[in-house]
Amino acid sequence: MLFQKKNRKNKKEAPRKEKGLYPVLYVINVLKNYQKELVQKEVESLRELGLVGSSFNSVLGEADNFQQKLEDFEETFANITDVSGQFENVKEGITDSVLQAQKEIEWLKTNSQQVEGCFDQMENTFEDLKGSVEKIRQCMSSIVSIADQTNILAINASIEAARAGEKGKGFAVVATEVKKLADEIKFLAKDVDQGVYAVESGTNELNASIHTSRQALSHNMEMVDETRVMFDSITQAADGAIQVQTEISHVIDDSRRALHILRGFFDQIRTQYQGVVKHIRNASHLGTTKSTMFEDVDNLLSQIPPVIREEEG
Amino acid sequence: MRQFFGSSRQGNLREAVQGLARPQFIMLFSNDGQFETHVKELENYFPGVPSIGCIGMSYDTRVIESGVGVIAFLDGISATANVLEQVSVMPVKYIRRMEEDVRKMEGSQQDTVCIDFCTGNDACVLTTIHTALKSRNISLVGGTGDGGRVSANGMVYEDAVAYALVRNHNGRVKTYKENIYHQMGNYRFIASGTDKANYILGYLNGQPAKQVYQNILHVSEEQISTQTFKNPFGKLNGNDVCIISIKEVKGSALACFRQVNDSDVLILLELGDYRAIVKETIDTIRKDFPKLSAVFSVNCLFRYKLFSEQHYMEEYLKEMKVLGSHAGFVGYGEHYNNRFVNQSMTCVVFE
Repeated sequence: MLFQKKNRKNKKEAPRKEKGLYPVLYVINVLKNYQKELVQKEVESLRELGLVGSSFNSVLGEADNFQQKLEDFEETFANITDVSGQFENVKEGITDSVLQAQKEIEWLKTNSQQVEGCFDQMENTFEDLKGSVEKIRQCMSSIVSIADQTNILAINASIEAARAGEKGKGFAVVATEVKKLADEIKFLAKDVDQGVYAVESGTNELNASIHTSRQALSHNMEMVDETRVMFDSITQAADGAIQVQTEISHVIDDSRRALHILRGFFDQIRTQYQGVVKHIRNASHLGTTKSTMFEDVDNLLSQIPPVIREEEG
Repeated sequence: MRQFFGSSRQGNLREAVQGLARPQFIMLFSNDGQFETHVKELENYFPGVPSIGCIGMSYDTRVIESGVGVIAFLDGISATANVLEQVSVMPVKYIRRMEEDVRKMEGSQQDTVCIDFCTGNDACVLTTIHTALKSRNISLVGGTGDGGRVSANGMVYEDAVAYALVRNHNGRVKTYKENIYHQMGNYRFIASGTDKANYILGYLNGQPAKQVYQNILHVSEEQISTQTFKNPFGKLNGNDVCIISIKEVKGSALACFRQVNDSDVLILLELGDYRAIVKETIDTIRKDFPKLSAVFSVNCLFRYKLFSEQHYMEEYLKEMKVLGSHAGFVGYGEHYNNRFVNQSMTCVVFE
C-alpha cells in the first residue's frame, strides 16, 4: 500500500503550459468583480453622504431657527429699550405735574397766610369790639346808676312836693315825670345791656369759630407742608425710576453686546456649516461623476472578453 | 459653410437631392423599406463623398415622417466618415479607425465636431468613442436610428455606429444640449438593483423603483410609461443632468430607455416652460454666434411626440429657423459628447 502511494507520488505530472489570453480574461473577471464591489461601496457611501447631507441640512435649519430666535431677542431688547425710554416721558410728566401742584400749594399757602393775617386783624377788631362793649356796659351801668339817683331824687322831690302841699303840686308832677323818665332810662339800659350781652355772646361764638378756623388753617398749613414733602418724595422717586431706566438701558446694552457676540459666533458656525454642506455637495457632485466613470470603466472592461474570445477563435 | 436640406415624402431620393451640387458631407435619413436602396443610390449620385445614414425622420421647417431626407454640408468644410462595428459587444475593436480619422482630420474642439448615428448599446459606444475624441477635445452630437442599421460611405451596417468628423474651415463649431425639464421637489435617489443590459432600474434609495415613482406621482402602473413625458428621471453627472425615459414596468422595477447603473444618482424631473426654454436656447446660440452658417440638431422622438401633441412642433421648427439654416433628425436617444440622453435636443452650430 505504502509503496504504491510512494510510486504515485513519484509520478508527478508536469505543469500544464498555459496558452492564449485566459489570464487576461481571468484578470478582467476579477477586475469586474472588484468594480462591482466598488460600485456597491459607492452606493453605500452615497447613501451615507446623502444622510449626512440631510442631517446637516437639518442642523443648518436649526441654526437658522436659532439665528431667528436671536434676532427676535434683539427685537425684544429694542422693545424694552423703547418701553424703558418711555420712563423718561413719564418722569417728565410727573415732574411737570408735581411742579404744577407745588405751585398750587405755594399759592394755597400764601392764601392761607393771608387768611391767617385776616384772622389776626379780626382778632384785634374783636378785642376792640370787646373793649367798646365793655365801655358801653360801664356807660350803661353809670346810666342805670344815674337813673337810680334820679329816681331817688324824684322820690325825694315827690316827698318834698307833698310836704309843700298845693304849692308843691306842680313840682310833684315833674318829680313823677322824672321818675318815669328814670325808670324808662333804666328799662332802656336794661334792653341795651341785654343787646350788649347778646353782642358779647355772639362775639365770643364768632371768636371761638375764628379760633377753630385758625386751628383748621394751621392744620391745613401743616398738611400743605407735608404735601410738599410728599411731592418732593414723588419727584425723587421719579428720578429714581429714571436711574432704574438707565440701569435697565445699561443691562440691555450689555445684553445686546453679548447677543451680538453670540450672533457673530453663530454666523461663524453657520458659515462653517455652509462650508460643510458645500463640501458635502461637492462630494456628492464628485459621486455623480464617479458613477459616470464607473459606467465608462464597465463599458470598456465589458468589451475585452468578447475581443479576447474572438481572437482565441 | 452652407447646409442643404432636401426631402421626398414619396421616398424619391433623386427628388430629395435635387439642387445638391458638390457636397462635402452628406447625411441620409431613410425608411426601413428603402434604406439599402437609398444608401447605394446616394453613393452613386455622389461617389466618394463622405456620408453617413440611418433610418429615421428628418426635418427643416417640416418633419418628413416617412420617405427620405438628405442633409448635406457644402463649402468650407472637410469631413471623413467611418464606422465602428459590433457595437453591442465590442466597438473598441474598431477604435483604431477613429483614432486614425481624428489624427488625419487634425481638428480641434473649436472647429471640429463628430456626428454619429448608432444602432444601440449607445452608452457603451459613446464611452468608447469618447476615448478617441478626448485627445483633441472634439465634441460629439448624434443619436440612435431605427431598424438596427446605419450606413457609412455607401455601405449598410448592422450593429454599428456610423460617424463623421466634420471640420469647419471658416469658423468655430459648438455643441449644445437642451433640457426642457427641471428638478421636481428635492427628490434625490441612489440607484441600485440595476441590470445594464436590459436598462432595468431596480431600486431607488433601497425601495422598489416602481413603488417610489407611483408614491410620488400618484399614478397607476398603466400610466407610468406615459407619465414619463411629464416626469422622466434625471441622472446627475456633476452639474449636468441626463434625462432617462421610462419604457415600461418590469415587476417592481422600471425598464428605461437608457442604461442605469448601480450608484447612479437620479432626480425626478418635471416638464418646464418648453417654449421659454427653446427661446432661451435660441438666444444663447445667437449670443454665441452673431454670424452662424448652420445648425444641425437631433430631437428625441419623445419631444417630437410631446410637441406634436401640444401642436407646437411646427412652431418650434419655425422658431429654430430664425437662427438661419436649421435641419436635423428625430432620434430614439440623443448623444452629447460622452453622454447618452433621452427626451433632449442636441445640436451643433457652425459659424
